[in-house]
Amino acid sequence: MVTLEILAISMPISVLLGIALGTARVYGNVIIRGIASAIVITFRGFPVLVTLLLIFFGLSDFGIYVPPFWTAVIGFILCSGSYQSEYVRGAIRSIDIGQSLAARSIGMTKLQEVLYIILPQAVRRAFLGITNELIYLVQYSSLAFVVGVPEMFAVTKTFNSLYFRPVETFTTLAVVYLVMISVLVVFFRGIERRLAIPGIELTTK
Amino acid sequence: MNSNIPVLKVENLKKSYSGRIILDGVNLEVDKGETKVILGPSGVGKSTLLRCINMLTLPDSGKIWLEGVELTNPNTDINKMRQKIGFVFQDFNLFHHLTVLKNVTIGLTKVKKIPEEEAIKIAASALEKVHIPNTLWNKYPAQISGGEKQRVAIARALAMKPSIMLYDEPTSALDPQLVGEVLQVIKELSTAGMTSLIVTHELHFALEVANELLFIYNGKIVEQGPPEEVFANPKHDMVKKYIASIYSRKG
Amino acid sequence: MRCAEIFGLGLLGSYLPYMLEGAIWTFALVGGGLTLGFAMGVPFAILRVYGGKGAKAAIDAYVWVYRSIPLIVLLFLYYWGIFPVILGVKLSAMATSILALGTRDAAYETMIFRAALESIDPGQMLAARSLGMTRWQAVRTIVLPQALRIAIPGWTNQYAIMLKDSSICFALGVLEILTRTRYVTISIGSYFIPYLIAGILFIILTYGGTKVFNIVYEKVQIPGLVGGK
Repeated sequence: MVTLEILAISMPISVLLGIALGTARVYGNVIIRGIASAIVITFRGFPVLVTLLLIFFGLSDFGIYVPPFWTAVIGFILCSGSYQSEYVRGAIRSIDIGQSLAARSIGMTKLQEVLYIILPQAVRRAFLGITNELIYLVQYSSLAFVVGVPEMFAVTKTFNSLYFRPVETFTTLAVVYLVMISVLVVFFRGIERRLAIPGIELTTK
Repeated sequence: MNSNIPVLKVENLKKSYSGRIILDGVNLEVDKGETKVILGPSGVGKSTLLRCINMLTLPDSGKIWLEGVELTNPNTDINKMRQKIGFVFQDFNLFHHLTVLKNVTIGLTKVKKIPEEEAIKIAASALEKVHIPNTLWNKYPAQISGGEKQRVAIARALAMKPSIMLYDEPTSALDPQLVGEVLQVIKELSTAGMTSLIVTHELHFALEVANELLFIYNGKIVEQGPPEEVFANPKHDMVKKYIASIYSRKG
Repeated sequence: MRCAEIFGLGLLGSYLPYMLEGAIWTFALVGGGLTLGFAMGVPFAILRVYGGKGAKAAIDAYVWVYRSIPLIVLLFLYYWGIFPVILGVKLSAMATSILALGTRDAAYETMIFRAALESIDPGQMLAARSLGMTRWQAVRTIVLPQALRIAIPGWTNQYAIMLKDSSICFALGVLEILTRTRYVTISIGSYFIPYLIAGILFIILTYGGTKVFNIVYEKVQIPGLVGGK
């Protein structure tokens, strides 16, 4: 259940972060672009485990204690959000310049243009990439055990060390992930259909 | 080879796609050294007919013979027979990852198992016939013009020493100014005795090169004969309209 | 001075070579994993595109399963379960890790290579067959050489992903970068700088490796053959 709690918080926020970072890297001024780029390069470049260990143990060097659960949530948001932002950025760049010109021609400000014209199209185009990252996130949530979060993998591991039935316990866990991810895939396909607009492909391929 | 046997014989060929009849019993023969040109409006199955002849598209029924060997017989080694049928595609289909020269030699080395050196000699002679200078031999398809691509494609087919050449609208994908060079090559080959079956919309070319014109309409050959005759005195309504429309289009 | 004490920087210097040596193990994991993934993924993709119904279904199932199981679960399932208990083989942590990385990568490689194969113009196949090539000859001499080139950016991406994923093999005690970094943090009693160095090392290796892949991509590039997708 801890797994689900982690995911319930980190998934939606990571999407928001991804959109924010992706947008900032295209439209931000030098400083904002620099900060956003630094975040993305860092957390796409670090393995998830390194990010988690840095937040939990690394910050303790400065006397900052982040509880395990929140370490996982923050780590996953940063990591997944950074990956997702790349899809958003690519999608924004792929949008025809005419869309921007047309928005300006009817008197929209830059912000209005981005919010009402560019992002609704870009997020659709980035949809497949974003959802792929969210599926990765479900898998990576199993790594929260490293900072002592009692999520599914940690619990299974403990269970196995008590009863030593490795084949059964880990197969069961694998099946649980399989079901979770399959459900999520079906769910995303459903959203994909509802978001679909004729003429806009929901992919960045 | 018994000279009485036609190079190509097609008998009662039928093909339909999801209920739509494309070929509805086509019969034709092409004798050695002959050039026949198939004409007709777009979308009446001319290309399907050509693809059926070398079995790239499988016909529903009917029989096809190449030099007396039945291609439609499932026991026939179709790969072996295809070597004897040169096929020229509308959109060239040169192999993107191979140079001009390699495009021509690959069939020789991989299919006919001819040693590389000999294959290059054969390819050189084929490329010469289509007027591709050796300065282009090491270029990739993306680096040459459409007319050059199609001529290389003809050389690729020619190098296999085919018994017949099939041309599927060989100039339809070309810019107008490049059409001439390709038609010239095809004409030269035909005049030199290459047995050919050509699908095209180039009427003037058809008149010049064909021993016989075939008009296809609604999946059937509706009129055929020597070009002068057909043009002077078209019988079928479609043929009349087609000829008229082409002339008016040319202005 | 105080700063240096907090971060244990004095000690760290002597441990740095030990950490960097972990890169050799990391590369061994990634090299082994990518090779296995490639060796499985390419034939899988060919079967998926050109094979019969049964083969297609089997490969779809494989991809579905292996794309859903977290690497850490796969590692434990292989290391404690499938190999020792079911197959009765005691594999080293290293070998198990490569098998887990590789079999999982195979699922992604299959998808990458399948997309590359399907992006090849069907006219290429037709032209090859019109010369009298068999189906397999056409796949081997015409379709594969083009698809392999087109798939390189996809593999580059897999390299970057697997490089980072290989750190998960620390859970089995493989002496790669992260495992060693952990030992170092415990020895010197400070965490931030060692983990930061490890993170930066991963970024450098990702960047460097990607460069190599890109150079290869440029080298084998052919005019007009666009990089897929």
